[in-house]
Parts: sequence; C-alpha cells; structure tokens
Amino acid sequence: MAIEIEWRDYDVIVVGSGGAGSAAADAAAAEGARVLVVSKDPIACSDTKISEGNATVRASVSDADTEQELSDNLRVSGADLPLPALTEAYAKDSRAGYDWYRAHGLRPKINQERQGPYARPLAKGGHTVARSVGHKNAGVAFSHAGWDAVIESTAIDYLEDAWFLDLAVEPAADGAPGRVVGGLVYHAAAGVLVAVRAPAVVMASGGLNTLYFPKTDTMRGNTGDGYAAAARAGADLVDMEQVQFLPFCLTAPASYEGLLVGEPSTASFLGVLRDRDGKVILDGVYLRTRAECSAAIMRAVADGRGTANGGAYLDLTANARLPRSGKGFMRYLETSMPSAYRTARQALAKDAVRCETAWEVRPAAHYTMGGIRVDATGASVGGPDDGTTAAGLSGLFAAGQAMGGVFGANRLGSTALTENVVFGLRAGRGAAHLARTRNAPPADDAFRPLIAAATAPFGRAGDQAPAHLKLELQQAAWDCIGPARTAASLDRMDGVIDDLAQRAAAVSIPEYTLWNQAFIEWVELRSLLDVARAVTAAARERTASVGGHVRLDRPAVSILAQPYSTVVRGRPGPGGVLNFVAERARRPRTPTARLAAMRLKDAWRKAQAKALGLLPPRLLDPILDRRYQAILGPQDAAPPVTPGSPAAAVADAAE
Amino acid sequence: MKINIVTTRNGVRETVAYDYRPRQEGERPMILDVLLQAQATTLPDLAFRYGCRARNCGVCTVDVNGRPRIACRARVREGDRVEPLATLPVLADLVVRRDGIARQLQGRLSADQRAPDLNEEAPETYHALTACIECYACLDGCPMHARNFADGADDAAAPDAATGYRWGNPFSLLKLQLLRLDPCVTEDGRRAALDAAVDLGLDACVGCKGCKCGVGIDLKGGVVGELLAAAGDRLPASAEESGA
Repeated sequence: MAIEIEWRDYDVIVVGSGGAGSAAADAAAAEGARVLVVSKDPIACSDTKISEGNATVRASVSDADTEQELSDNLRVSGADLPLPALTEAYAKDSRAGYDWYRAHGLRPKINQERQGPYARPLAKGGHTVARSVGHKNAGVAFSHAGWDAVIESTAIDYLEDAWFLDLAVEPAADGAPGRVVGGLVYHAAAGVLVAVRAPAVVMASGGLNTLYFPKTDTMRGNTGDGYAAAARAGADLVDMEQVQFLPFCLTAPASYEGLLVGEPSTASFLGVLRDRDGKVILDGVYLRTRAECSAAIMRAVADGRGTANGGAYLDLTANARLPRSGKGFMRYLETSMPSAYRTARQALAKDAVRCETAWEVRPAAHYTMGGIRVDATGASVGGPDDGTTAAGLSGLFAAGQAMGGVFGANRLGSTALTENVVFGLRAGRGAAHLARTRNAPPADDAFRPLIAAATAPFGRAGDQAPAHLKLELQQAAWDCIGPARTAASLDRMDGVIDDLAQRAAAVSIPEYTLWNQAFIEWVELRSLLDVARAVTAAARERTASVGGHVRLDRPAVSILAQPYSTVVRGRPGPGGVLNFVAERARRPRTPTARLAAMRLKDAWRKAQAKALGLLPPRLLDPILDRRYQAILGPQDAAPPVTPGSPAAAVADAAE
Repeated sequence: MKINIVTTRNGVRETVAYDYRPRQEGERPMILDVLLQAQATTLPDLAFRYGCRARNCGVCTVDVNGRPRIACRARVREGDRVEPLATLPVLADLVVRRDGIARQLQGRLSADQRAPDLNEEAPETYHALTACIECYACLDGCPMHARNFADGADDAAAPDAATGYRWGNPFSLLKLQLLRLDPCVTEDGRRAALDAAVDLGLDACVGCKGCKCGVGIDLKGGVVGELLAAAGDRLPASAEESGA
C-alpha cells in the first residue's frame, strides 16, 4: 500500500503555529496571499503558549528608552554577535509587534498616564531599562491571541498533525542556491503526503531544544525540523552553537526533570551555588548571567563534585533565615516568577519549598539563539558578513526561534515573545511580496526526489526503533554538545552521529500511513541528526567560550577580539546526514572603552554584593528588608528603581 | 506497577499491560512518565501527544479509567487503564483527532469584530477564561458535543472531524464568551458571538448539570450560565420549558 499524494497550491506556506507562525500567516494573508499553515502540534501549542508571558515593549515605562538604547542593549548582551540590522528592526517594531497580539485579544494592565501597556518599573533579565510587560495567565494568554489570528482569517488554511518534511527547490542554472517552489508534508491525521506548490515558505518551526530531552523546559516539538529542512535545501544557518541553557532546572523527581524553578535573580542577595560537599562554587549568583551559572554547575560536575543527579545545589537558605527580610524574600520568590515557583512547590520537599534546605538544580535547554540566516525582512541570506538575499535560498523566510542572528550569544529575558511577532510579521509580508512577483510554473520535478525519500521508509523491516535512536542521540547531545563542551567531546559527537546515521538506515517502520508513529519518530530523528551535526560544526568554529557556548578547555573570548558569527552550510554526507562547512561572518565590535567600563561596573556590583553578605545579620536584615519593600511595594506600586543600582539588582537577571 | 494501555494501530484495538519500573525509590509517577518509559522500552512505536510536561500546553489529555486527565500531571496507580479520549475520533493509540473542534469556529470569529482602541483593561472575568489551555477535558459528558456523534459516527472517518463539528462544546463556548467580555470588541461582534453560541446548540446546556474544566475554570458559571442568560428566549421553546 503506497502512501497517497495530495497536491495543493498556495502563495505562502507557514511552518509552525506559535507566535511567529500565527503572525506570519496573518501578515501574509493581509497582503492578499493564500496561506497554508502547517503545524505538527495543535494550532498555537508552542513555546509561546508555555512561556512566562513577559514581553519586551520599548518605551512602555519611559521615553528615554529609545530604539538605539534597545538595539544596543540586545547587541552588547549578545556579545556583539547580533546582526545590527536585525536588532534595529527589533527595536523599531517592538511596540507595533506587541500591538498585533493586542489586536487579537491580549489584554494587559494599562498604564493610563502613558496610554499603553503597564510594565513594572524594574529593569530585569539583563535589560538596561524597564520594558518588560507581564500578563495574566502568562504565555497561554498569548497563545489565545495567536490561535484567534489563525482561525479568524478566511485566507488562512491550516493543517495540524502535519510534519513539514522538506523544501522543494528548483536549482539555479549557475550553481547558486536556487529557489523554493514548495514543500512536502506528512499529514498524519489523514495518512497522506501533501505536496504543496508555493513560491514562498516561512519557517516558524521553533528551536532544537528537544535535542537535549529530558533536560529542557520547552515543547517536545522543538526537534529542529526547520533548520534541518533549510540546511538540506542549501540555506545557511548562523550561530548554531548558541543554545541558551537555563541554569536552575530540576533534576528530580523524574516527572519534573528539566523544568524551570528559577533564574539567577531568584538567588536574591544571599543565594549561592554549592557542590556535592557543600563548598561554594559561585557567589553573587543574582548578578551572574545564565551562562556563568550553568558553567559553574557543569564545571563542578566535570570535576566529579556534582550531585547524585549531575547538578549542584542552589542554596537560598541565607535569604530565608533572616527574621524580617526573610519574609520579604519569600514574597519575592513567590511573585517574581510565579509559574517557576509553582513547579518548585509541586516538585520539592516542604522544607526546600520554604528554603530551609537547598535545591538540587541542573541546566536545561531553553532557547535556540542560532538558526536560519536571514536579513531584516526575514529572507534567507548567504555570502560574507551580513550576507545578501542574492546568495540566499530565494523564497525561504524565517522567524522566531527558527531564525538566527538577532540575539547572538545571549537572549535577554522577555525578548522572545516580541521577537517572534516582529519577525513573524516581517517574514509574512516579505513572503507575500515575493509570491506576488513569482509566476512559478509548476515545477513538480523538484518534488519527485522528496516524495521518493518520504515514501521509501514505509514498510521498512529493519531492527532499529527510531524512538530509541532518538534517545541515544539526546543523551550524547547533552554529554557532548550541551552546556559544557570540549574539543574531545565535539569529536565524540561526530562519532555518535555517524553511528546513529548508519543504524537509522535499518529502522523498522510499519506500512500503514494513518498516524504512523514510527515514521514520525524517523522524521524527527533525521532532523535531530542534521541539527546535531550543525551545532557540532558551529561549536568547532567557535574556538573560545562565549554566551551559550561554554568550553571547559578554553578561555573566555577576549574583549579585544574581533566578534564573528559562525555560519554553517550543509553538504550531503554519508548515511544521508548532512556534513557542514563552517565559516565566520564578521560583526562590528562595541568600542573597547565601553566594554571595559561595563566590566568595571559589573566588578564593582559584585564587590558590593560580597561586602553586603559579610555584614552581621542584625545590620543586614533591616537593609535587605528595605530593599524588598522597595522592589515589591504594596501591590505593584513599586517606586522607580534605577537600573544597575543595588536596589534594582535583585530583579536583574544579570545577563 | 502494571498499567493497561489501550492501543490502536491501523484500526486494530488492543489492551497492552505495561509494567512500569520506578526510576527512584518511592517515585509517584505521572501517566506521562509511564507512556514515555513504555516508548523507551517495549513499545517504541507507542503514539501519544505531549508537549511541555508542566500542564501548560494542553495536548496530552487522555482518559484514565474512563475520565479525562492531563497526562503530565495525573498520578498513576496500579491497574490504571489509559485510553484515548472517548470524545474524539482515534487516529492511533492515544492520539485523537482534535482539529474538528477549532475548525467549527472558522467563520464564526472575525478580526473585524475587534475595536481599534486597545488601551482598555479587560475585566477579571475575561482573564479567568484565558486560563484555558485547550485540553478538551470539558468534552467529557457534554450533551452538545455528543450530538455530533448521535448517528453513531465515532471513527476518524466521521465527516465533521476534518472539517469542523456542527455542534459545539464548552471550549467553543468559552472562546465566544471571551469575545463578549473583551472591552475591545464591538457591539456587533458581541452579538455575533452570542448568535454563534446559539447556532452551535446552546439549548443543549439547558438543564445540563454542567461541564468540568481540566484546569479549574468555572465553565458553568463563567461561560454557560452567562450565555444562557444572554440568549434568554432565543433558545428553542422546548428547551426553555425544561428550566432555563
């Protein structure tokens, strides 16, 4: 029984239906395009839905929050890896992008004086200026808006339970990257392959965090399908080594493994990280970046000083122990990240929840900063440095986690929900415009090899289970290309990929076509193998520690070094898995004097924090008590706090 | 710990007894832990949905001993029987076809219904409803949704499953009630939402003891009760007599 092929025609295919996908679909439809949304999970069941629900809205608190301020903030925090054209686009559109969610039903608290969404007057998550707007019901409120956008529009068709397999590409005559003519989809709910002819495809398919399962707090569907399909079609990927790991996720109980319980800011003024034996491995935790905390934990583990479950102890007890400020700390803990604390409350023992004992924590993959290499319109680019669309894969667009280049080596808190709509709208518009200029003749030839490749596995009688190969890959990815890496571990990863690719040729997949789980596992395994190879290749090109890429055997990048992004391009390799060639794309450098001044300020804050911790409790307690009152205030009425001041520090996730 | 998992492959339904091995001493696993372990060991092709493992995404709902539960946060007990949701057509194992629910609202929601001024705060009753994670636990026991299957159509081939069900359910009513509570929706939009609720079979709610939400939203008071009160005498007379 051969699987049936269904042919369809659209102007734009959008892969994914989270924040980025729903915005892209809506924007393309508004431009008059006929749009097909392809989503493997139910509509809007994405990382947007399960997020903490904080969005970056520029100038929500103060007019001093200029576009330049926000753009620079993104670039400097991203270690100068972000592409200026992208951070500028982000800063320019952040308010309009956010209002797209509001136009579809997101209802924040309103700042009547400023006639806009209300943001707490606290700069947090590494922002230089307060601009993070929180929401009731967190990400679920955003997903309602995205869902409405897809369902409301009569110009949008959608398929859920549909896995996007590959881009159909017509090669260019001169050996250039070619152009997109559609895509092939496995629609599991109907048991058919859908061959979609379309001149433009927007990848809004999320990240690759499931490569590290179960050490991730994101959606299962993040199997890197968009990166893999783009790379197989010849598009460039950028900064693929940059995966953001949140340091404080649970190791146990098993049902909660990988779930988030706190940020560096959660440690508050007196929290420290300890190894198995109780020795402090990092102090001033609340002033550290996510990467610094993750590195400290993974170094302890590598030295054999990790906890039983391969982590460390986040010790908050000193905060809670003080008689007056201890109450303020507990209120801060409960209110600053409600859903993270809810997870802690469900998972940990009662004494730990009260912070009378330490929490066992371990990093977990949270966000993929790298991705498909694009310009400010979301279009695929290639070539040196910023790249050009002329050298990119024509007709390919990307937004959300699927795109790379806007966050570089580090993503600030609350920026993703804005990024996905800003670039979702841009990519959707760009795709619709391009579709208008193309009178693509039906290029069904481009589909034939894809259909052959997708049909072949059905009924294959091998001895390997794709689901089990996936688990092996995930374990190796954590060990070799996870939050801590070495030259040797990168080599080991390549060996694992080679082995798994070989065994993947001998999988067992039944013949039936309606929701064939083994086939689905095989599809995702194929994506994960390709993206694991991409991460490894990019990591090898990144020769020192920066941001999410922590090398245990190499120093941190010097502030005098020329910043560069890694660019990787796939080439068909043995076993069908891509090999990648890696290059560097130069990025402009923030002036050394400015970086040095920032480092100095940072060192000063850490010294102050250390001095504070040395005060005797009877002096320390009233000081901290006043600080908690200043931060929390009575019901949201917190007074303005100057970013960077000690009073603001506890809310700074200090990235 | 023995758990019974009902599987369906290529139309063949059977019950598989799976022996769960605790990973830690004294572990109290969730249903999802059992499914993940089964897939990692003896049932590699086991089909089930899940997403966030933290009760936020709403996709892992299954029936446990005949009642819908969110698999990632439902503790499992010896002898539990895990089945696909009885209220939707089965595609494979524990996976049901969901999209017929959302599709019934296509053409019933419209962006034109939103007013341009966005700087209005929504009432608490609005936020109480955006807590919905679309887990579809509320379909259980819903007489309105049951009308879709009145003629015995209960497999994936049911015509409405792919195109949108004719008759409504508590989730669809919640989406419509959200429009009625949204301060940024026009009067016309609110009226259209109520019309849609009536058209989807709101009369089935008259005299119903009420629906149960998977995440604790007061569906009977906050959604159905409000719609019934607003619809008033627009509901079919026979239904009204039975106690609207």
